[in-house]
Amino acid sequence: MQEPKQVRLPYFGFPKIYPYVKKYRKRLFGMITFGVIVSILDALFPLFNRYALDHYVQEKTLDTLPIFVGLYLAMVIVKAILDYVGLCWGGQLEMNVNHDLREASFNHLQTLSFSYFNQNNVGYIHARVMSDTGKIGELVAWRLMDMVWEGSYVIVVLITMLSIHLQLALFVIVLVPIAILIISFFEKKLITANRKIREINSKITSNFNEGITGARSIKTLVIENKIFSDFKKDSGFMKHTSIRAGHYSAMFSGLIVMMSAFALAIVLWQGGILTQRQVIQIGTLSVFMSYALNLMDPIQFLIETIAGLIGIQVNIERFTKLMNTESDVADSKEVIEKYGDTFNPKKENWEELYGDVEFKDVSFHYPDGDEMVLEHFDLKVPKGTNVAIVGETGAGKSTLVNLVCRFFEPTSGQVLIDGKDARERSQLWLHSNIGYVLQTPHLFSGTVRDNLRYGKPDATDEEILKALDLVSATFVLEKMDKGLDSEVGEGGDLLSTGEKQLLSFARAILADPKILVLDEATASIDTLTEKAIQDAIQTVIQGRTSFIIAHRLSTIVNADVILVVSDGKIIERGTHKELMRKRGAYYDLYTRQYEEMVVNEVIA
Amino acid sequence: MKQEKYPTNVSLIKYFLRGSIRYFIIAIIFAMFVSLFELVSPKIIGFMVDSILGNEKVNAPFYIQFVLNRIGGVEALKQNLLLLAGIVVFVYMLSAASRYIFRISNVKGAETLVQTMRDDLFDHILHLPFSWHSENHTGDIIQRCTSDVEQIKVFLSEQLTMLFRVVVLIVLALIFMAQVSLKLTLVAIIFIPMIIGYSYFFHHRIGSQFEKVDIEEGNLSAIAQENLTGVRVVRAFGREAYEKERFEQQNKYYTNMWVRLLNLLAAFWSTSDIFSQLQILSVMTFGAVLCVNGEITAGNYIAFVYYNALLKWPIRMIGRVIANMSKAGISIERLRYIMNSEEEKDAPDAMEPKMDEDIIFDHVSFTYENGNTEILKDINLKIEKGKTVGILGATGSGKSTLMYLLDRLYDIPENSGKITIGGIDIKKIKRSWLRENIGMVLQEPYLFSRSLEENIRIANSSASQFDVKDVARIAALDETISHFKQGYDTFVGERGVTLSGGQKQRAAIAQMLIKKPPIMVFDDSLSAVDSETDAKIRRALKEKLEDSTVILIAHRITTIMHADVIVVMDKGKIIELGSHDELIKKKGIYCQIHDLQLEQGLLDGEVEYARA
Repeated sequence: MQEPKQVRLPYFGFPKIYPYVKKYRKRLFGMITFGVIVSILDALFPLFNRYALDHYVQEKTLDTLPIFVGLYLAMVIVKAILDYVGLCWGGQLEMNVNHDLREASFNHLQTLSFSYFNQNNVGYIHARVMSDTGKIGELVAWRLMDMVWEGSYVIVVLITMLSIHLQLALFVIVLVPIAILIISFFEKKLITANRKIREINSKITSNFNEGITGARSIKTLVIENKIFSDFKKDSGFMKHTSIRAGHYSAMFSGLIVMMSAFALAIVLWQGGILTQRQVIQIGTLSVFMSYALNLMDPIQFLIETIAGLIGIQVNIERFTKLMNTESDVADSKEVIEKYGDTFNPKKENWEELYGDVEFKDVSFHYPDGDEMVLEHFDLKVPKGTNVAIVGETGAGKSTLVNLVCRFFEPTSGQVLIDGKDARERSQLWLHSNIGYVLQTPHLFSGTVRDNLRYGKPDATDEEILKALDLVSATFVLEKMDKGLDSEVGEGGDLLSTGEKQLLSFARAILADPKILVLDEATASIDTLTEKAIQDAIQTVIQGRTSFIIAHRLSTIVNADVILVVSDGKIIERGTHKELMRKRGAYYDLYTRQYEEMVVNEVIA
Repeated sequence: MKQEKYPTNVSLIKYFLRGSIRYFIIAIIFAMFVSLFELVSPKIIGFMVDSILGNEKVNAPFYIQFVLNRIGGVEALKQNLLLLAGIVVFVYMLSAASRYIFRISNVKGAETLVQTMRDDLFDHILHLPFSWHSENHTGDIIQRCTSDVEQIKVFLSEQLTMLFRVVVLIVLALIFMAQVSLKLTLVAIIFIPMIIGYSYFFHHRIGSQFEKVDIEEGNLSAIAQENLTGVRVVRAFGREAYEKERFEQQNKYYTNMWVRLLNLLAAFWSTSDIFSQLQILSVMTFGAVLCVNGEITAGNYIAFVYYNALLKWPIRMIGRVIANMSKAGISIERLRYIMNSEEEKDAPDAMEPKMDEDIIFDHVSFTYENGNTEILKDINLKIEKGKTVGILGATGSGKSTLMYLLDRLYDIPENSGKITIGGIDIKKIKRSWLRENIGMVLQEPYLFSRSLEENIRIANSSASQFDVKDVARIAALDETISHFKQGYDTFVGERGVTLSGGQKQRAAIAQMLIKKPPIMVFDDSLSAVDSETDAKIRRALKEKLEDSTVILIAHRITTIMHADVIVVMDKGKIIELGSHDELIKKKGIYCQIHDLQLEQGLLDGEVEYARA
């Protein structure tokens, strides 16, 4: 994955996320106030030492000691309390902002159209929801806090120094701009180096992935050494780059020490002279020394924080871009008014869906491409018709299905559902009437019951068992020790592909959709399950309008209409017999499938 | 159970540290210098306050006295404070230099260590038997090779060297402090175990809370992941509202876990600060009392307070490092699992015999380790050199397994028969030799994330451009390539162009052909190409490589019907064997399949068949 370029937004992009912070502004301001007080207290602690030196040590008296201790303790306790409250508020602020951003982005994603999901891979979108939001929350709570802390500490120290002794203070302050220049220079170098490191790092991870998933090919080709030497090139480059970054940061830390040393030396030299002349006391000198030594670190942190703020703008930019993305497929105002929106349906106004589908002069190209994949396409699919769509992997078989489901809308022409343009009713209405079985069956982590109820939340156990029986999937349940309460694992990982497939058939049947969309799996499945699946398909499509992206001969041959897709376009259509007679693309495709089936059937 | 190669975590770490230990030693030595210099400057400050600004007698070791006398004694310094400042800058310069050397050595050590770990792991994984690969989850292994490696690096290079540095700093500081005032040092010391103990206790608790947060984050992340990968299902069932609620619930729970953790951290932070401040206060007041009583000088007092301030952070760190130790231990344990898995090994007297010979399967039986059905049952088969053998069988009949055994992706267990080439048991042949001489095109071809050309020549980097084009032509891939904008430079694999099944198969064939092996195996590797291309490829093979022994596994009769010998397999057994003509005459299963695929034609028969 390529590292995005640096982005510059006005005010570090803070105005863009202020709407999400507004709710917590009281907490934010409270936190900042407390932070400032804590910094001031921190900057004032060395004054105690000064007093102890000038008063007790120099004047050899302990007269005010109880007050001294009392005041110190009081400050410590006040600081601890402020620290605690400030940190807690900061934590709450960060987490609540994170929470709200995640929720907003997740909910927004639920309304986005499929073109968004086709153009961006899952990993990318996932990172928007999970990691960008976290970084932004951190910015709001801690980066700002750091700025306040370090900034006010530096300011208070400078003011204290100036008010104690102007001349000496000015000597020290001269060093500050020099320090800032040096630190910024190295910070920049470090950021560039770190970006490079992240890039190589992701390459190394994908190398590991290749070495493991490609193990069989690597072994049969005997290229272990070649693959390893290529890997070593990357890992060597990684080492080289990391060491260079380490070199900068090592120089950097040495320089910070030197800057502190110069500050201290100036205080010793000039302050010493002043002390010799009795202009200042030893206590004052000591306070200056401790300020001199402790000034550089906060300045460094401050610059690091600013660099961090610059870095986070990328995240803000990506987040706002996601939130500003609008769905290509949106219900019109009138439709929402009548049928409700995604999260608040008005089911009382929903009509029954009968099951006629018609493509009327449909032309279509995907939003991210400009090649027309359908041109003036007409197809009538009366209720109960089975349409099979066949073609090679990657030929673009899902286009029609996408249009039926209104995951995409035609560029021109209409998709009619029961004679009415699909756009005249809400997406949720349509989707609630469509059953969908995916090629890679998708189950959600949870129990079998949760999964089967996905399309019909109020299904009873009886109904569920009946559905399982209909698709001959009862054996899957019997294998699991807790029946309907058995967990299926993340993405259904505890089940085999075939078993997942069967459960997703049962899920579709339970929803009792009028229109069924089915994307058959190509993965090889053991013979027993394969048989069950074939039967299940015939059961589910019975009496339903169905669109099947088909690989199984039994499904294809039995279909009422077969559409053959190649390079995204429909190149042949007709019944099995018609197409076979044509001896075209379908004939080739069919023959290949047929051969394997014959072998399997005859031998078994 | 065999003796493990790395029986303990320490033994593995020692092995990994082999190239980097010297950097770490240098780092530790210079870390000590850093601490030492950090402690010298309070001395100078104390000296300045007492002897230059005050009038205390110089109380220093002889060598300092010596240097002092050479530059003109205390009086000279009193006159020239700039010189004193110069000395301070000089000491700090040494300190800065030590710090630089410490950090750069540490980085070099850390990066060398990481490189060693990565290379060792990757190399080891490449040489693990194939069975290991099928038993372990890719994601899990990758995580071990990335995050666990990182965890160990951070622990060794950052936390462990810091521990050294901190301990040295504390010890030295205490020694310096004790020289100033034993009484006052005792006051300072009392707090140290308290702070360390408190910090350890807290970090331990925070650690376990962190784990909980991690788990909840995983759950939330999984919900988002499932929602995104299953976006079609969600939409098609119209369940957006439900998904929203599901996410919301976990989002809230996760947020609360974090808030709890952060509250804990806040509590730790503020209370441990009280401890540190109390320690400083005690030292300050007690020191003032000692000063007033005349037990220590003002300069000593200042130096002491400085030393004490230096201790504030290191002491808090120790508890944290100790708490993290267990985490690193778990990571090492996880790598140990990989490194202890046994690599494929050849017998010491393994041979590189002539491979252009007869292959004999002699009473071969096989069961996968975690399976319970016997995949191959007493297979006897002779494949004469230079001949072509076709194998036909249903899905799961053991055809591929037979080839895996030939290529030793799996080994035949003792007493389950053997495979010989030219009379030599393949277990006595060097694995790399064996595999180099058997060109195997797998059922599920895998292309690497490289250009097409690099993919084709991957097994033979010395192949010329001409060779590459030649094998591409044999594999009927040249025309496909000419359709790509970037031709042979087209990037394929995980992050490249997606090829169709047939294109992938043909690329894999070219990949194999580049080695020109004497034995070639095509494991159902023409299934996704149409019959015409299939025939074209086989014709080209015959012309170019007529001496090779060829094993063709297929479902398509036309693919294998011209083979010298045809083997029909069912449930791990050979059920028919002979030439095409013989098998047709036999009117057995082969003949039946042949008829169904060819004679009866596809137009009528299959319709009834499929409906039946």
